[in-house]
Amino acid sequence: MKRAWSLVLALLLAASALAACSGGKNGDGGGGSSNGASGGSDGGSGKRVKLTAIMTKHPLTKPFAEMEWLQAAEERAGVEIEWEEVTADWSQKKGALLSSGDIPDLIVGPNAITDADIAMFPGLFQDLRDLIESHGPNVKAMFEAKPETRVLATQTDGSIYGLPKYQRYWPATVTRQYINQQWLNNLGLKVPTTWDELYDVLVAFKEQDANGNGDPNDEIPMDFAPVGTGGFGFFHPTVLLGSTGITLTNASGQGYFMEDGVVKNFFVDERYKRFVQFLAKCYAAGLINPEVFTQDYTKFQSVARGEGNTAKVGFTWGWEVTDRFGNTLAPQYTSMAPLKETAASNVQVSWDYTYDALNYGVNMVVMSAKAKNKEAAMRFINELYDPIVSMQVLFGSIGPNIKDNGDGSYEVLPPADPAMDPGTWKWTSTWADNGPMYIADDLVLTLGTDMQSVGAQTEPLMPAINAIDKENDVLPTMFIKYTPEDNSTMALNNTNLMNLAMAKFSQWVTAGGIEQEWDSYVKEAERTGLPQNLEIIQRYVDEYKRSK
Amino acid sequence: MGWILRKRTPGDVLFDAFIAAACILVFLIVAYPLYFVVIASVSDSTMVATGKVWVWPRGFSLFGYSEIFGDTRIWRGYRNTILYTTLGTFVNLLFTLPAAYALSRQEFRARRFLMFVFVVTMFFSGGLIPTYLLIKGLGMTNTMWVFIFPFCVNVYNLIIVRTFFETSLPRELYEAAAMDGCGHFRFFWSVALPLSKAVISVIGLYYAVAHWNDFFTALVYVRDNDLQPLQIVLRDILLSNQVFQSGAGTGGQAGGYAQRYADQIKYGVIIVSTLPILLVYPFIQKYFEKGVMIGSVKG
Amino acid sequence: MAQTAQTAAGGSGRRRTAWQTLKRDRQLWIMILPAIVVILLFNYVPMYGIQLAFRDYDFTKGLTGGDWRGLHYFKQFIDSYMFTDIMRNTVTISLATILLGFPAPIILALLLNQVRWKRGKKVLQTVVYMPHFISIVVLVGLLNVLLSPNTGIVGYLLRSMGYDINLLASTTAFVPVYVLSDIWQHCGWNSIIYLAALSTVDPQLYDSAKIDGAGKWQTMRHIDLPAIAPTIMILFILSMGGVLTTGFEKIFLMQNTLNLPVSEVISTYVYKIGILSNQFSYSAAIGLFNTVINFFFLFVTNQIARRVSNISLW
Repeated sequence: MKRAWSLVLALLLAASALAACSGGKNGDGGGGSSNGASGGSDGGSGKRVKLTAIMTKHPLTKPFAEMEWLQAAEERAGVEIEWEEVTADWSQKKGALLSSGDIPDLIVGPNAITDADIAMFPGLFQDLRDLIESHGPNVKAMFEAKPETRVLATQTDGSIYGLPKYQRYWPATVTRQYINQQWLNNLGLKVPTTWDELYDVLVAFKEQDANGNGDPNDEIPMDFAPVGTGGFGFFHPTVLLGSTGITLTNASGQGYFMEDGVVKNFFVDERYKRFVQFLAKCYAAGLINPEVFTQDYTKFQSVARGEGNTAKVGFTWGWEVTDRFGNTLAPQYTSMAPLKETAASNVQVSWDYTYDALNYGVNMVVMSAKAKNKEAAMRFINELYDPIVSMQVLFGSIGPNIKDNGDGSYEVLPPADPAMDPGTWKWTSTWADNGPMYIADDLVLTLGTDMQSVGAQTEPLMPAINAIDKENDVLPTMFIKYTPEDNSTMALNNTNLMNLAMAKFSQWVTAGGIEQEWDSYVKEAERTGLPQNLEIIQRYVDEYKRSK
Repeated sequence: MGWILRKRTPGDVLFDAFIAAACILVFLIVAYPLYFVVIASVSDSTMVATGKVWVWPRGFSLFGYSEIFGDTRIWRGYRNTILYTTLGTFVNLLFTLPAAYALSRQEFRARRFLMFVFVVTMFFSGGLIPTYLLIKGLGMTNTMWVFIFPFCVNVYNLIIVRTFFETSLPRELYEAAAMDGCGHFRFFWSVALPLSKAVISVIGLYYAVAHWNDFFTALVYVRDNDLQPLQIVLRDILLSNQVFQSGAGTGGQAGGYAQRYADQIKYGVIIVSTLPILLVYPFIQKYFEKGVMIGSVKG
Repeated sequence: MAQTAQTAAGGSGRRRTAWQTLKRDRQLWIMILPAIVVILLFNYVPMYGIQLAFRDYDFTKGLTGGDWRGLHYFKQFIDSYMFTDIMRNTVTISLATILLGFPAPIILALLLNQVRWKRGKKVLQTVVYMPHFISIVVLVGLLNVLLSPNTGIVGYLLRSMGYDINLLASTTAFVPVYVLSDIWQHCGWNSIIYLAALSTVDPQLYDSAKIDGAGKWQTMRHIDLPAIAPTIMILFILSMGGVLTTGFEKIFLMQNTLNLPVSEVISTYVYKIGILSNQFSYSAAIGLFNTVINFFFLFVTNQIARRVSNISLW
């Protein structure tokens, strides 16, 4: 017993000693990750205003104290910010923080504070309109050049609480379609153009040892990303609905899309039924990865990297070819154009239009209504929207990440570590897509290899995307602000609908049964509240179009 | 106490064989996945994910560990967690043991009522927001004390200790001591505690592990990086894999990037966070060796 | 241990006044006071927040100022489209967990207690409690790798035995996989308390049993089991308070579209409606609904235990 106590005491002493030695502070405001000097500024130029801020950053991103552009921006704005860098569990933290009113001066991050939060906590956040007028010339410039950003920022009553971002360079869609060209060459096949041709090609992949390694059973003809229980997303086969003429918007995860100005949901659409039947046919023939519904994203990506020079996957969807297949196998794959449903079909094929979600972001930064020095905070925000600073927010500091050519043009540099890919380099060095920014359309910037190749790989899809009627076939949900009641109603109905629809989707694909169950399924979907949601969204869309 | 030899019946032999077989089975079932975690933490993550790693590490790499230990936050996290755990467990026991003793005494009139009052709190709670407001009102947010005092009495553990005190400290024992003029305080200190090393060790371990694994307190109540415990740091590192689970949203652009990185870390993290506790357990274990505790109620 | 009216501290059986009882028990009161303060302060003071289940949340008026809605949110939950499915799934999973997960640590403790070889016993004990520390995220990742039909070792074993089932995908496999992996992870840790109880058994009892010629099986039945009977009883009562509790993280991570019909439970549902819009009142109501049922079961079990044996919570 005595020994145990002495052990405990020894540990306590050791820990306290450690605590004392490293100057452990206990919460008198000095613990942040910015420069270590506590109490008063460190003899720099004049007094800098102290602000507190939270940012929801990507787990890869390095500590903010090491970001050159950020330190410089803070200095120019005359502020010194104590950052709390949050990488996980923001939603759990947020509830307590907001309800107690205990928020820092600034909260930064992609939709870190949602419109629902703003509506639920009136008086907590600062209406920025006046501050933008007085201290935010860069923000004003963005609103003028890109009126969509003003729409994104404005609440239904005209106030502005959260500022958006615009990053210009991203492609019109997230999901690209890939097929293994080398396998096609090995088997003497052409790139398929219809669903039936795809089916035949996949059968050939499966039966004829497409990767030529002597084992006819190790090919996975088709694979797609794990489908969540909350709906579809990117890299899912739903893009095949484009073949039937349906235009997805931002992946249309819960099924909502627009056609000729009418809001619809594909989960109860005949074309979706045909799509599921096609997938079921493929699955039954063993053409789809049997683990497609149980593997996680890590496994999904790992499988595609094959073994050495031997590829495993024949046909799939992804962001970019090296990201999807790794550097070794990337050369084997080409990106494809959308398929037609049948050879005889004359419906204009479409795809998933994600330009808005990729290039715009809502509520990237909000300010607390109780901030003591709002002008200083606004000055800092304004710095972020300076196009040159924004460029660094996105790609990294001038110097290590970006080269200033001296003539007003810039160039994104390759990673300092040659083994690292440009995407990781971006996310490690800076806030990247998570930060507020305005990349001006007149900025001259040479992009890195990854962005350039994404652009190149999107080429086959561009004819279909350019043919999209942006006015009537793209659902403008990003730009619509719902009332809290409507938002709440839709959320509840969508949870119900997704539970039904996603379970049925995977069941029908793997075990069949769609013929028998379709009609009762559609009736069931009505009971989840779907008609109510369609009516709500249609109302808002009509209102939005009227006010444009 | 000498050996009392008795012939082993066939029933005994069968019994022993059964025990032995069961133990081996249990050992394998439990040990293999643990062994897997260890070898996975030094293997190439792509090989692990595609099931190529079974008995030996493949694609040996210490990348995961170097990343974890290279992160300075880890050391600070260790320091903080050790402090919170030792101090916190000490406070836990300080508050819990006397209370359990009091509740175990049958002559204590209020015991049923108090027990009921305590048990109710295991089910009904005001929720996170009022609790947060309270702790903020007490000035404990963003200090180390939020890890020590709030909820320092866990009713479940309290009940366990109470049960032990009830069964191993019968009333006669106390009455005998009381006749010599011993009050409850003295009895508790000189008789009850020494006899209860087993349960104190167990409850101490429960509390210590709860402190060790706690990340929620830090998540909600603490902002300073200096105060963050180990679990927050590890969870940060670990959850970067979660970001890629959905594959959608930011996963699209950022998903592929460095998910290999996150995976390497995943298994290493579990080793790093568990090792210290594993080292503590052997000390505790000897307290529930058979025969160390000798029942004291004679006759 | 029947108590008679005579007590050591005097008194001849006449009723005491409350004050006298207080004085007599004052040392006990002092011993329990810190715990009372802590529980009252941190558990009871914030309890006014429960009314959020009956009110709308209005930030401007504070937690207690929103409009009174009475049972509106409870009704909303009970009438909701998914109510029956969620309740059925929750009950199935938690009952299975209790039915299988409760006896397992007891059996394990009894098993370990019989091991003669000291070294082996120590090693086995240590190994067996280690899985408890694996975080849920890693555990589910482990499950995905090991149970994968093509590449996992368990999948491989099953295939070689002739079963062609995807353990991660089917609705029938979800509950067994969930419960068995739970047992795998926590059985060892949960057995510690029983082992500690077994360690307090007087060795002389074993010796006298041997002299009387008792076989090992009988020894277990007549010495070991009674020694841990009070612990079993109390822990069982407590576990009945978990009838509608499934935990959130593990189910959420194990959920996929194929097992969704059986894996959507109360906690995952609350999470999903919460992330899209701040449904504070609705989730508070569901939470309260959940705990009331749990408490009811605990209460009933406790009363039964009190009748049937001397052992109960209160």
